[in-house]
Amino acid sequence: MAHVIETQQLKKSYGTHEAVRGLDLSVSEGAVCAFLGQNGAGKSSTIKMLLGMVHPTSGKGRIFGHSISNEAESLIIRQKVAFVAEDKRLYDYMTVAELIRFTRAFFPTWDERFEQELLDRFELPLDRKVRQLSKGMRTKLALLLGFARGCKLLILDEPTEGLDPVAIEDVLQIVVSLAAQGTTIFFSSHQIGEVEQVADHVLMINRGQLVLDASMDEVKERYKHIQAVFPEPVEERDFRLPGIEKARIEGRTVTLVASDHLDSILEHVRMLKAGSIDVLPLTLKEVFLEKVKVRS
Amino acid sequence: MNMLLYKAWIETRVRFFAGLIAVTIVCIFYLQQHAWLVKMWAHELADSKGYHGAWMPLGINHYSWYLWHYLYDNYLQQVWALFALLFAFGGLIRERSSGTVLFSLGLPVSRRQWLFSRLAVALLEALSVACFAVVVVVIGSRVIHQDYSLTQLILHTLLMVGAGVFLLAIGNLCYSLAPGNYTSLLVTLIVLGVPYLLLQNYMQNERDLNKTTWLQYLDVGHAMAGPWQITWTSFPWIALFVAWGLTGLCLSITAFYGDRVDY
Repeated sequence: MAHVIETQQLKKSYGTHEAVRGLDLSVSEGAVCAFLGQNGAGKSSTIKMLLGMVHPTSGKGRIFGHSISNEAESLIIRQKVAFVAEDKRLYDYMTVAELIRFTRAFFPTWDERFEQELLDRFELPLDRKVRQLSKGMRTKLALLLGFARGCKLLILDEPTEGLDPVAIEDVLQIVVSLAAQGTTIFFSSHQIGEVEQVADHVLMINRGQLVLDASMDEVKERYKHIQAVFPEPVEERDFRLPGIEKARIEGRTVTLVASDHLDSILEHVRMLKAGSIDVLPLTLKEVFLEKVKVRS
Repeated sequence: MNMLLYKAWIETRVRFFAGLIAVTIVCIFYLQQHAWLVKMWAHELADSKGYHGAWMPLGINHYSWYLWHYLYDNYLQQVWALFALLFAFGGLIRERSSGTVLFSLGLPVSRRQWLFSRLAVALLEALSVACFAVVVVVIGSRVIHQDYSLTQLILHTLLMVGAGVFLLAIGNLCYSLAPGNYTSLLVTLIVLGVPYLLLQNYMQNERDLNKTTWLQYLDVGHAMAGPWQITWTSFPWIALFVAWGLTGLCLSITAFYGDRVDY
């Protein structure tokens, strides 16, 4: 499948601080790809580099085959990409109707029927100034302005921040329906539950580096919790094997987090004469915490 | 493009209407003062101990000189320059403070389009304010029964705006480089306003002493005023070309800097 977003050794430094450190990522066409990481991990810097808002220190990036570093090509990218920023501040001196009319003018693919549907669904008052809207309403308006552009790629930075649970559910449904129509979605979120609900691919970033690039199915398949009880005390060094992300030893009980080579790990555990072995799936939240904790 | 102009207009329209009111007040005040000032100068000239300025006969006998001196060489020009600087205030760098810059940059619009659409609106507003002053003078002069040359008024307006574009360009450059939001406005007004006024006074003294210096080419105020009887041949072309050259330089620096800013 063709890649909509591709980066090669993408780097961004602010003075001596390296926000993004040699990022190699790709997002396939039609995917709903979650981009996870702690605050300050480099998610927003990456997204801003993809959209020409921040200039990469080095490395390359392409969206729909257009270079992100070239101003002219970046313009073409922004015609094909709808972006909703984390900080959903909009022109507060315009009314909702004015802002919709303003944004619509830049996108020939604007979907007016969808715009109307979203206006009804989000109950946005057309004649009210943006400055008079609540935070939730402003978020809904920002999402409407992104969704209705009719773009092939939707980049959302924390799309549901500031929304109530009902609105969050609405937004997730819209994301799923857009993906079903062939729109590629690339979104960052701290809400792991939402990610599990809609994403089919996960990219995890920590301190500017990619630490996980896998489909949701792969994550569920590969990441396991192994709990084993041994008749004799064991040591941490006994579990330094490929595929073991973390080993925690409490007395004769060992808890392992495995990301790969499950069969060989289990064979090794049996070889150490484990009395009982339990293999449990890991949730995405647990995977996230392990990935971030291990490297922090 | 139309929407960019529309956005810039919405953002600056309050300043624009304030500019219209300000030039109206300045023009009406000096039209209303005309009779009184002429009477006072005549009285001074008649008095052997009074102040005898070389320009007084011009002020008494030529209403066009009076209009030029008080409006285009002084107060209207200064008010217009202030509002030109205010019209140029804004743009992507300022949007960073208000938090809307990511929304703007998410649109398929280049940074240069943002810059030049904003400056185009500022220029149109500055031109409109200057033209409005002509309308006020036309009506006001009729009320006080004075004759004037409409061609002179129009030429002075064109010259004021033509040389004054430099203020728009350098104002926008200062706003782009200075940190903060309203701090940058204040800094720009001080950094540009003080030399503008000081240089104007200094050069006036130099001219009175029949001295010439290269600084005359940087005297934007003098270039904007021109001679009181202006024709195409007496246009201060060199000062005008210097102003346009500096305008081009300022715009290039602003665009170059703007292209490289990380948001």
